Amino acid sequence: MLSYTLRRLAFFAPMLVGMAVVVFALMHVIPGDPARVLLGEDATPEAVANLRASLGLDRPWPVQLAAFFGRLAAGDLGRSMFLNDSVANLILARLPATMEIAILAVLLSVLLGVTLGVAAAVRQGSPVDVACMMFAQLGVSMPVFWLGILIMYVFAVELRWLPSIGRGAPLPDALWAALTGNPAVLLDSLSHLIMPALTLGLTNAALVSRVVRTSMLEVLSSDFVRTARAKGLRRIRVLLHHALRNALLPVVTVVGWQFGALLGGALLTEGIFGWPGLGQLTVNAISQRDIQLVQGILLTFACVFALVNLAVDLLYCVIDPRVRLG
Amino acid sequence: MRATGQWKAFIGAAAIALSLAAFGAAASAQPAAGVVRVGTDVDAQSLDPRLQRETTGYRVINLVYSGLVQLDAQLNPVADLAERWENPDPRTWIFHLRRNAKFHDGRPVTAADVVFTYRTILDPALNARFRSLYTPIDAIEASDDFTVRIRLKEPYAPLLSYLDLGIVPKHLVDGGRDLNTQPVGSGPFRFVRWDRGSRIVLEANPDYFGGRPRVNGIEFVVVADNTARAQALEAGDLQIIQSPLSPRDIQRLDRNQRFVHAALPGLGVTYLNFNARNENLADPRMRRALAMLVDQNTIVNQIYEGTDQVAGSVLIPSLAWAFDASVRQPGFDVNAAKALFTEMGWRPGADGILARNGRRLQVTLSTHSEDPSRVQSVEFIQNVMRQAGVDVRVQVTDWPPFNTGVQQGRHEVALLGWLLLVDPDRLLYAQLHSQGSLNWGGYNNPQVDQALERGRSALNQADRAAAYRDAARILAQEVPYYIISYQGFHVFTARTLEGFRPDPRGYLRSLAAN
Repeated sequence: MLSYTLRRLAFFAPMLVGMAVVVFALMHVIPGDPARVLLGEDATPEAVANLRASLGLDRPWPVQLAAFFGRLAAGDLGRSMFLNDSVANLILARLPATMEIAILAVLLSVLLGVTLGVAAAVRQGSPVDVACMMFAQLGVSMPVFWLGILIMYVFAVELRWLPSIGRGAPLPDALWAALTGNPAVLLDSLSHLIMPALTLGLTNAALVSRVVRTSMLEVLSSDFVRTARAKGLRRIRVLLHHALRNALLPVVTVVGWQFGALLGGALLTEGIFGWPGLGQLTVNAISQRDIQLVQGILLTFACVFALVNLAVDLLYCVIDPRVRLG
Repeated sequence: MRATGQWKAFIGAAAIALSLAAFGAAASAQPAAGVVRVGTDVDAQSLDPRLQRETTGYRVINLVYSGLVQLDAQLNPVADLAERWENPDPRTWIFHLRRNAKFHDGRPVTAADVVFTYRTILDPALNARFRSLYTPIDAIEASDDFTVRIRLKEPYAPLLSYLDLGIVPKHLVDGGRDLNTQPVGSGPFRFVRWDRGSRIVLEANPDYFGGRPRVNGIEFVVVADNTARAQALEAGDLQIIQSPLSPRDIQRLDRNQRFVHAALPGLGVTYLNFNARNENLADPRMRRALAMLVDQNTIVNQIYEGTDQVAGSVLIPSLAWAFDASVRQPGFDVNAAKALFTEMGWRPGADGILARNGRRLQVTLSTHSEDPSRVQSVEFIQNVMRQAGVDVRVQVTDWPPFNTGVQQGRHEVALLGWLLLVDPDRLLYAQLHSQGSLNWGGYNNPQVDQALERGRSALNQADRAAAYRDAARILAQEVPYYIISYQGFHVFTARTLEGFRPDPRGYLRSLAAN
C-alpha cells in the first residue's frame, strides 16, 4: 500500500502543472481586463496602461506563464492584485474554515444518509421507505442557497437557537479549549458551524441515502446474508456487521466524489452564513479576474480533491479485504 | 465486532456534537457591550484611504481616518482635521490644521502627513482608483507644521468635496507599515482586527480630538447574501444593514416594528450610456427616440419594486443646491418616438422592423450579469423597443468584459450606474465634457463643455448650480446619458440603537458622537 500511495503522490506534480496551465489559459481566454476592474469606472486609459505594465499583464502570455512557474518552483503562489496580500496567506487563512464545514457536512451526510438508506432498505415498500425516499428526492432537488436561507430562518430567526452568521473559534482551538476546561468555546464554535454544515450536508445526505438503499437491498438479498440469518445471528448484527459493511463500498466512492461538489457548494453556503472560507474569495477572485489568486485557489482545491480521492482508494482496503492495491 | 464498535463510537460522537450545537448558547454570537454590528455585502479590499475601492472600505476608512474635511449628511464640507480654510485666489486653498489631532499611535497629525497623503495618491505608480479626482492639483506644500497650501492648475470648485480623503501617517508608511491591512488613522475609531472575508473590528478611540465616541466599538460583518443579511438583522445578530437589499426584504422589514427604516435618496444613478460615435446613435434625435421607449415607471416600480426613484435628469435630488425638477429628459412616449423615427426617414419593413436605405435599425443593448434587476431591465427595454420597430440585441456578460467594452467605447447602448456622486462634477465633467477622461461614448457639445467648465471654476455655489442646470437642459435634449433612476438608499436599524443618523453614502460617523 505504501508504494501505491507514493506512486499516486508522484502523479500529483504533473497533474498540478497541467491544471495550472489550463487555469492560466482559461483566465487569459475569457474576456475582461483585471486592470480595468481594479481601477474601476474612474480609470483613465493612462492609468490602465500604467497598471497593466506594473502587474506584468502587458507581457506575452508565455512569459507570464513562465514567471508563474518560476515563482511556483520557489514556493511562491504570487500576490493578489486586489487584496494586496500574498495568495498563500489568503488561502491559508481561509482553507481551515472551508475544510471545517466540508468535513462536518460529510460526517452529517454519511450519518443521516446511511441511517435513512438502511431504514428504507430494511422496511422496503413501507411508509418509512416512502418517507426516506421523499426526503432523498426533496434533498437532491433543493437548491443549496434556498435551503440555507430556510434553515437560518427556522433556527436563527424564529427559534433563536443558533447564531445566524459568522464563525466561532477554529474547531481545533475550540476542542483544545474544551479539553483544558473551557467547553463554552467549543459550544460557541459548534453553534456557528452547525447550520452551514447542515445546509451543505443535507443535499449530500439525500444522495447517500439513495445509494445506501440500493446497495443494501442488493446485499440483503445475497446468499451470505441469508446464511448469517440462518445461523441465528441477531438481526441488528446481520444488518450492521454483514450487510452494511458490504453496502458501504459504493457509499465511500460517492462521498469521495461528492467532496469536490461540497467544496463547490461551500461557495454558496459561505455567502449565506457569512462564513469566512474560500467560497466568497473564489467567487470574487474569478469575477474580478484576480489571476494569481484564482490559480492559487484552484490548485489548492485540486490538491484537496486529489488527496481525498487517494484517501478513498486507501479506505477501500480497510472496508473490503478483497481489495488489494498494488 | 471491532467495526461495530467503531460505528457506535462514531454515531455517539456525532450525536454529542449535534446536541452540543443544538443547545449551544445562541447568546454567544452577541458582541461585547456597546459594540454595534453592521452587516455588509462585500469585504474590504484595502484599508489604505488612498487605495480604497469599494463601499465597505470607504465606510471603515471613514471611521478610522480623518480627512481635511468631512462631508455632512447633506454633503456640505465641514471641519475635520482642518479647523478652517481660505481661498485667497481661485487657484489657491490654504488649510489650517487643528493642533490636538493625533494618530492612533500617539504621534500628532501634521501638515507633512497631509502633503504626503496627497502627493502619494497623485503618484501614478500607486495606481489609486480615485487619483483623477485630484489631478487638478498642481502643487501641495506645508507652509508650517499646521498649515497646508494647495495650488491648483486651474480653478476647481469640487475640490472641497473630495478632501475628505483620510490622511495617512507618513512616519509609519516610511517605516514600511502596510496600511492596506493594518490601518492607523486619527479618526474616532481604532482598528483592532480584520478577519478577511468575515469581519472588521474597530474600537472607540479615547484620544479622538472630537471626544471619545459614545459606542465602544463597531464590527463590520460580511454576509454576501442580501436575504441572509436581512435575516441576521431579524435574528438580532446585526444592528444595522444598508443597501444593497432585495426589494422583498425591504418590504418585509418595513412592516416589522423592531426596526427603523430610513429610505434616503441615494448618491447613485442607473442610466443608459449612448455611444455617440455609433453611426445610428450619433444623431441626437435617434437617442431621444430610443429614450422615449424606456418605460421608467415600470422599471422602477415593477422591476426594482419601488426601491429607487424615477429620474428626471442628470441632476440628482440629493444634491439639492444644484437640483432642478423643471429640467426633464424625454419621458416614455411610444408615439412620439415613432414620429421621430419617421422624421429621420426610418420606415417599418415587412417584419415590422424599421429600415432606411435598405438597412435595418439594429441596436445592441448591453449590461452585466451581476445585477439581475439590470438584466431584467434590458430584456424589458428590448421587448418595448422591438414592438416599436427597433431590432434590439441584448448582450449580457459578467462585469469585467462589460466594463472593458464600455471603457473602450465598443458598446452601443449600455445600462450601468454611477455611485457616490457627492458633486455634480463627479457625474458630468469627466463623463460628458468632450475632453473628459471617462467620455466613453465620445459625446461632444461645445456648449456643454462650456457649462461644465463654468461649473468647475465658479466658486460661488449659485453660479455653479446655474452652470450645471444649463448643461442638464442641453443633455436632456441630446441624451448622451439617459438617467433611468435615482438609486434609493435603504437603511434598517434595530429600534434599540440610539443616536444613529443614516447617511446616503452608508457612512456611520454619527456613531462617533459622544
